[in-house]
Amino acid sequence: MRERVLSAASSDRPRGRSPYLWVVLYLVAMGIVGTLKLTDAINGPTGFILLALATGLLIPIARQRTAGCASKAMVDYNRRVLVSSFGYALGLGIAVTLWDNYELSRPVVFAISLLPTLPTFGVIWAMARYLAEEQDEYLRHRTIMAALIALGFVLALGIFWGFLEMFELVPHVWAWWVLPVWAIGLGFAQLWQKVRDA
Amino acid sequence: MKNRLKVLRAERDWSQQDLAARLEVSRQSVNAIETGRYDPSLPLAFRIADIFDMTIEEIFLREEEPRAD
Repeated sequence: MRERVLSAASSDRPRGRSPYLWVVLYLVAMGIVGTLKLTDAINGPTGFILLALATGLLIPIARQRTAGCASKAMVDYNRRVLVSSFGYALGLGIAVTLWDNYELSRPVVFAISLLPTLPTFGVIWAMARYLAEEQDEYLRHRTIMAALIALGFVLALGIFWGFLEMFELVPHVWAWWVLPVWAIGLGFAQLWQKVRDA
Repeated sequence: MKNRLKVLRAERDWSQQDLAARLEVSRQSVNAIETGRYDPSLPLAFRIADIFDMTIEEIFLREEEPRAD
């Protein structure tokens, strides 16, 4: 009986390349582009074009349905985040390029600040739609827990950094960093869940 | 919450994936319920009970509570 149970459990793993591989490759690509930009090896527009191209590494995750690794809601979520990420890189590139090269009026500056902002709203909308559309209650529960852990991470880091900044120990950080930091927290929380569930 | 899901599944020679397909949930869900990391909602517990043609109490075991006396 016990052997049969173990045998059944061991044959249950879905086949297919782990989505985490593509996430890691994407982060590595981002790191390389960031390093090239910081060392002035590439100019701003080239960096943003490479950043937009790097989002292509996330396409295999958005096509997971064919491998049977994810629910329909997760596939839709990945597709929406992918589109938003591409829009973000593109919008940010256009906005920074315009800001660097032209003397812009305040209304135009307001308008170009929306270019990278609106796609990030798309990411938040995608998460909300995922939680509404996910039919698997355990997967939904797991995502909610990961999102709460990420929220705690952002709040703790934000408060700590805020006081360090107030006492002039660290430099100023723009508020839009909350989303990338939250996403990093979400990634770590999901990785921890993945390891725990293995 | 402790349960007999793993034994019941093995008796029918079902993999976690087989049971997940019958319940229309992910394999991770079955694994989490089986190992006691996640307690299913009442509707899902009823679906599990229906699939094994048993009552919920026959599958999910009450936690031992300390006696008042």
